[in-house]
Amino acid sequence: MSAPGSLPLPAPRAAAMAGGEVGTPVRRWLGEATAVFVKDWRTELRTRHALHTLLLFAVTTLITVSMALGPLGVSSGERLAVLPALLWIILLFAAAAGLPRGFVQEEETHTATALRLAATPSALFCGKTLYSASLLLALEALLVPLYVAVMQLPVVSLGLLFAALAAGGLGLAIGSTLLAAIVAQAQGRGALFPILAFPVLLPLLLLAVELTRGAVAGSVGEGVLANLLLYDGALAVSGLMLFPIVWNP
Amino acid sequence: MGRYNPQAMTAPSDSLVEFTDLLRGFGRVPVLAGVSGQARTGQVLLVTGSNGSGKSTLLRCLAGLLRPQAGTIRLREDGRELDAVERRRRVGYVAPDLAFYEPLTAEENLTFFCRLRGVPARRAVELLATLGVPARRAAGALSSGMRQRLRWAWALLHQPRLLLLDEPFQNLDEAGEAAVRTLLDSHLEDGLAVIATPSPLLVPRLAATLDLSRHHAASDRPTAGRAGTA
Repeated sequence: MSAPGSLPLPAPRAAAMAGGEVGTPVRRWLGEATAVFVKDWRTELRTRHALHTLLLFAVTTLITVSMALGPLGVSSGERLAVLPALLWIILLFAAAAGLPRGFVQEEETHTATALRLAATPSALFCGKTLYSASLLLALEALLVPLYVAVMQLPVVSLGLLFAALAAGGLGLAIGSTLLAAIVAQAQGRGALFPILAFPVLLPLLLLAVELTRGAVAGSVGEGVLANLLLYDGALAVSGLMLFPIVWNP
Repeated sequence: MGRYNPQAMTAPSDSLVEFTDLLRGFGRVPVLAGVSGQARTGQVLLVTGSNGSGKSTLLRCLAGLLRPQAGTIRLREDGRELDAVERRRRVGYVAPDLAFYEPLTAEENLTFFCRLRGVPARRAVELLATLGVPARRAAGALSSGMRQRLRWAWALLHQPRLLLLDEPFQNLDEAGEAAVRTLLDSHLEDGLAVIATPSPLLVPRLAATLDLSRHHAASDRPTAGRAGTA
């Protein structure tokens, strides 16, 4: 250990001139959101709590569904109606099992105090949402090809399937992040997430299922993708407005 | 010690923290009832009191982590009054309930907060070296004394004007206490501090002592009196 106080602390003017990190408000905001995103992934890759939960839940559910129904368990006529909905049910439950942990863990391990004092709430929300979205998209990238292969889901339009997964996954991530922040502040956390998630995520899931059906059928009703994107946007705006109120005392 | 705040780069000027008639309870239990006090640049306000007398609650209110149910808190830096949101981001805070990401190293933790605070990452490295914290060790593997040093490093990252210190020398060995006392002395050249401790403590530049035990006893009586600085 160096002698106390022997190391010269940096002069503020020199730091501001040489550091280059004290940038414009927009750059600082982006830097904060990126820092939260990187920190969450770094922590996750060392503990793998959420990765294991999401993956185990998704694979277990997929195997259960495939063994119960299998490619032959659903008639071709019913396949279009049943299989897209089952896919989103698996994704919803995997997300519900893994994503809300983020904020709850910040509160339980008392890291939330340091975060509250240092982070801009909107940047924190964006960083956390990006982390959740990337986690969910990674899960989709692993799970969906398996699901399509095991259930022999005939996808006619890959573009629509990607759009459904991207827009649906993003909405699920935004909604889960906001709800997780609310749940983390409350007692009775276990029961609260599903109760809050139902009204918030139901419209999103119905649209995502409809779009996935369109990917299987080859066409989709007018405005479904636009409505899904609009709902994502509405969730994002609500999240940005509500999060500072939820997060701060 | 200077500050990263560009306004502070012009010339060090007077700062002030002042709280008046603070009221805060939890449920039906009153914890703070009409607590007042103040400190200026170069001064320490010492808050003492027995367990449960409201020292930590007072500091959490001053930090903006708890909203008082009544009363006012003012923090003025360089002649400018900060609102509650600015106050929360500007203060330096050391407390037992302040924790870090255990899977990350001490340096990774501080570097993360440097990015949140817009401070060059080398500041984290310098503070860890000054305080003798092993930079490459996971925060979860640090001893309680080293965690306390890490809390100090975290609190000083952005060179705040106001330091809120809740039992700041807890778990520190002789070398650790000497290191943080040197940093506190340096901070008080143009900053101020509010220090909470259960028993009177030898601190530099003591301006006043606020005994919350006496105040708490008074506030439990039907006609609660207003606490002042002694």
